Amino acid sequence: MAISEEQVRHVALLARLALTDEQVANLGDELNSILGHIDTIQNLDLEGVEPTAHPLETVNSIRSDVVKPCLSRELALKNAPDTDGTAFVIPQIVGPGGGDA
Amino acid sequence: MSEFDVSRLTGAHIREGVVTGQFTAREVAEATLARVEALEPTVHAFNQVTPELALEAADAVDSSRAQAIADGLDPRDVLGALAGVPAGIKDNMNLVGTRTTCSAKILENYESVYDCTAVRRLLDAGAVPIGKCNMDEFAFGSSTENSAFGPTHNPWDLERVPGGSSGGSAACVSASMATISLGSDTGGSIRQPGALTGTVAVKPTYGRVSRYGCVAFGSSLDQIGPFARTVEDSAAALAAIAGADPMDATSAQQAVPNYVRAAAEGATGGAKGLRVGIVTDLLQADGCSGEVRAAVENAARIYADLGAEVGEVTLPASAHGLSAYYIIGPAEASSNLARFDGIRYGHRVEDPTDVLDLYMRSRAEGFGPESIRRIMLGTYALSAGYYEAYYGQAQKARTLIKQDFESAFKDFDVLLTPTSPTVAFKIGEKSADPLEMYLSDVYTIPVNLAGIPAISVPAGLCPSSGLPIGLQIMADYFAEETMFMAAAAFEAAIEFDARPPLRYESARGTRAAQEERR
Amino acid sequence: MAKDRLAQVLEDWEAVIGLEIHTEITSSNTKMFCGCPVGFGGEPNTRVCPVCLGLPGALPVPNEYAVEATVLAGLAIESTIARWSQFHRKNYFYPDMPKDYQISQYDLPFCDGGHLDVQVGEGDGAYETRICVTRIHLEEDTGKMVHVGGAEGRIAGATHSLVDFNRAGTPLMELVTEPDIRTPEEARRFAQKLRLIWLSLGISDCSMEEGSMRVDANVSIRRPGETELGTKAEIKNMNSFRALHDGLAHEIIRQAELVESGGHVVQETRHWDVGAKRTSSLRSKEEAHDYRYFPEPDMVPFQFSEEWIEAVRAKLPELPDAKKARFVEDLGLSGYDAAILSADISLSAFFDSAMSIGGAAKAKAIANIMLNDLAAYLNTEAISIDESRVTPAMLVELVELVDGGTISSKQAKVVFSEMAATGDSPGAIVEIKGMKQVSDTGAIEQAIDRVMTANPSEVEGYRGGKTTLLGFFVGQTMKEMRGQANPKLVNEVLLRKLG
Ligand SMILES: [Mg+2]
Ligand SMILES: [Zn+2]
Repeated sequence: MAISEEQVRHVALLARLALTDEQVANLGDELNSILGHIDTIQNLDLEGVEPTAHPLETVNSIRSDVVKPCLSRELALKNAPDTDGTAFVIPQIVGPGGGDA
Repeated sequence: MSEFDVSRLTGAHIREGVVTGQFTAREVAEATLARVEALEPTVHAFNQVTPELALEAADAVDSSRAQAIADGLDPRDVLGALAGVPAGIKDNMNLVGTRTTCSAKILENYESVYDCTAVRRLLDAGAVPIGKCNMDEFAFGSSTENSAFGPTHNPWDLERVPGGSSGGSAACVSASMATISLGSDTGGSIRQPGALTGTVAVKPTYGRVSRYGCVAFGSSLDQIGPFARTVEDSAAALAAIAGADPMDATSAQQAVPNYVRAAAEGATGGAKGLRVGIVTDLLQADGCSGEVRAAVENAARIYADLGAEVGEVTLPASAHGLSAYYIIGPAEASSNLARFDGIRYGHRVEDPTDVLDLYMRSRAEGFGPESIRRIMLGTYALSAGYYEAYYGQAQKARTLIKQDFESAFKDFDVLLTPTSPTVAFKIGEKSADPLEMYLSDVYTIPVNLAGIPAISVPAGLCPSSGLPIGLQIMADYFAEETMFMAAAAFEAAIEFDARPPLRYESARGTRAAQEERR
Repeated sequence: MAKDRLAQVLEDWEAVIGLEIHTEITSSNTKMFCGCPVGFGGEPNTRVCPVCLGLPGALPVPNEYAVEATVLAGLAIESTIARWSQFHRKNYFYPDMPKDYQISQYDLPFCDGGHLDVQVGEGDGAYETRICVTRIHLEEDTGKMVHVGGAEGRIAGATHSLVDFNRAGTPLMELVTEPDIRTPEEARRFAQKLRLIWLSLGISDCSMEEGSMRVDANVSIRRPGETELGTKAEIKNMNSFRALHDGLAHEIIRQAELVESGGHVVQETRHWDVGAKRTSSLRSKEEAHDYRYFPEPDMVPFQFSEEWIEAVRAKLPELPDAKKARFVEDLGLSGYDAAILSADISLSAFFDSAMSIGGAAKAKAIANIMLNDLAAYLNTEAISIDESRVTPAMLVELVELVDGGTISSKQAKVVFSEMAATGDSPGAIVEIKGMKQVSDTGAIEQAIDRVMTANPSEVEGYRGGKTTLLGFFVGQTMKEMRGQANPKLVNEVLLRKLG
């Protein structure tokens, strides 16, 4: 399953990576080389095999509904690239995405 | 100040010396820091050395000993199992007071605001934090060349890689710039550098050690584990960090057995009755060097000599391990690394025009080439239309790999393979072709996919290169005791105590020079 | 206007509506995957921790209470509870999402199916319709953004935004209906009834204003009799039941007029602008959604046993429909009164509390005071029943005073006002104000004698056939007795003495 340049660009948008044309070309080659190796997995007859999402077969790992201390706001904002002292500051939002909760 | 060579002291020695007052934890810390100062410029095992934290921790150990004596208590009962033991910490684990960079430009200035559970437990047991260890960026790699802050050099040959991704953690223990260290292992990232640096390296059962606070790569594959120069020290370190953690829903509830006692039993009791399976199909695989293969075959003979029942076994589904791993790992990673977006922390591009531009350019600038490659691969594998063909198939292949191990462990207590198909390779040798690098992990990857524990122990030096070879010993789920027992028996039998032929000024000389500068 | 236009449009078109209702589990102490407290407001970024800020290395651990609350919600609407379920990651970038993926559920939600029967309209046109529920799943809420520099805090035209993660990670139930809804009114009734059920379960405060209950709708139109679905638009930002109704009505009209004038509906997200009374397209070019769902590897699956599900079912309280039926059948209330009382959690709880104190025999009298005097009082004061000083026991006592003949029902109104204002008990008010009704015939006769003596001409007039003067005598007698005479007895004695 070879990946086209157009697909590379689409995947880069999904992953939010601004790639140069050179990167797009190189990544296309590299991904195709890796996929060439990985693609063997598609030919395996795995009909009826249950998928393993997790190595251990444990279930119901939960936490009781008890409040714990929060971070101070100072620590919460400590690594923020831009802040007004109370919140994270971001530039304007245009274009697609969001609000799907 | 007493003079001693920290490179000849195990963690067990250090604790004993500190407990009995033979030397202080501060003396050990200072000697270690002096060694770091001397060797670090050539090895580059650390992204950050933390002398203040180290001396503070060492002083805390010394004062709790003094307090114990004042209270009429035996310091042996009061001090932690790792009291005074210098430790390196992979730079993907959070520790307040340090930066946690994952060797990535995007996190270059990231300061931890909370502690990783495993690190906290290690320090609570009295370990002394020497620094944050270099690694492949976000743990993507097998050579520590993919570090935004430059490669780590193998102490056995500075032209060669220490393996990776936990290359800094392996190199600092190998070069005795720390006595133990923590690494993380997603597809071999503890064991493979362990093999390439002649250290003991443990990947515990998935869930045995909490992952809380360790920056995630492949959440269903990642495990934190220790490096040490002896099996006993690695057992003590794992005992300190293992156990359930309410902050990690995937951490296992099982009680933690006495790993140190298991190692001691192995060291003294040999391997009588131990059922050892040599994994023949993996051993015969292409790409495995003859000398590595010979070392593993030799290990099997040693086990037989020690009274083990040695047999042969195959793990046919492991042939698909690499494919499954390079789908599942990047898929999970692509999602785990989404959060590095320049909004709450990390690199943000200058003058973004809008949020989309901020995301696109901050991430493109902040991630190195291998991170970008894996994010792209994982995003593609999960994207619409490809999920079943890639991720779905990989998960099913994972089931087969798991089943292979389950059936092998009906007949055997431990399984043997090489840890790495080759000894340490030259810096730059495999960086041109990513696929070539990926093949370094063919023996270690199936272990992560299945979730079982495995250890790499030195199996001698390669006759032609003089570089260490690692033996991988795998055990059943939560059978770390058996694993340590088997490893300690082997370690005792081969009496490996070679040290890297590093040339450095003596710790004393460096310290004198340092004092002169003041 | 829109209403008539809608009726017109719905003669030629059938609307097909499905709802997506997000409800925050505000009754939870903590967030979905961390120990931070759940709550509306708070100084920005003060209810956050490494987990809900998505800091590197932090891991989610699911909140037991939120899982149980979601299962309880499912049981209340007759969903099938999954025996095996898990969380998935929904991957997309947005600044209010700390991890740039939302932990949600995909093909294995906690609750599958379910339905609500909804009464629509009043009187002759009333009908009941069943609206099927596709699923209820559990997920985490996002943070909040304040857009700065534009008009009215809107995203359009803003120069920058401030992000606050206090809300991020709040447990959020998402209910999705089948496209079974045909009119804006059905949609409103469904949402109102669902809200009432969630309130009965005590899992959320369901405030549409504060956003703890958010209703989005998918709308398409087709000609009556058609079975294919038309292209749908998704409508957001309908922040009240009225907005839900009006937003849908305008969208249906918009789509019909668009198609009738030769255009066609495009699949997009539209924003209800309550001020402009129209929906507008939210995004010019819709990014093809590719959420790359995969099983959340930081958590393990859920396996719900039959016993556990039954134990949760045992916690189901009486639901609004059952409550209404009980008010009618067991307590003899009219259907109308029962509907009003059962449609309000606080009112029905107050009523039930009064019943347990005073007994079923007082049901009608209590309901009467509640739906008249109390309702009027609460309305005037603009407070809720929980904020008022009136208690169920006070209402029972008031009814007992009337039933026992101590005060008249007219006096009862005075006592009610007094007790609502002061919080004093009715007995005390009657005592302090000396309002006790005099039923002593002797005292009444003496008073009437005094009145007749003082007004001989009126007595003569009455006896001469001017019987309308009876009111005058009643008034004079009551005045003589400072309003405390039993009016029934006054009447009787007057008729006897004057006759
Ligand atoms: Mg949702
Ligand atoms: Zn939190």
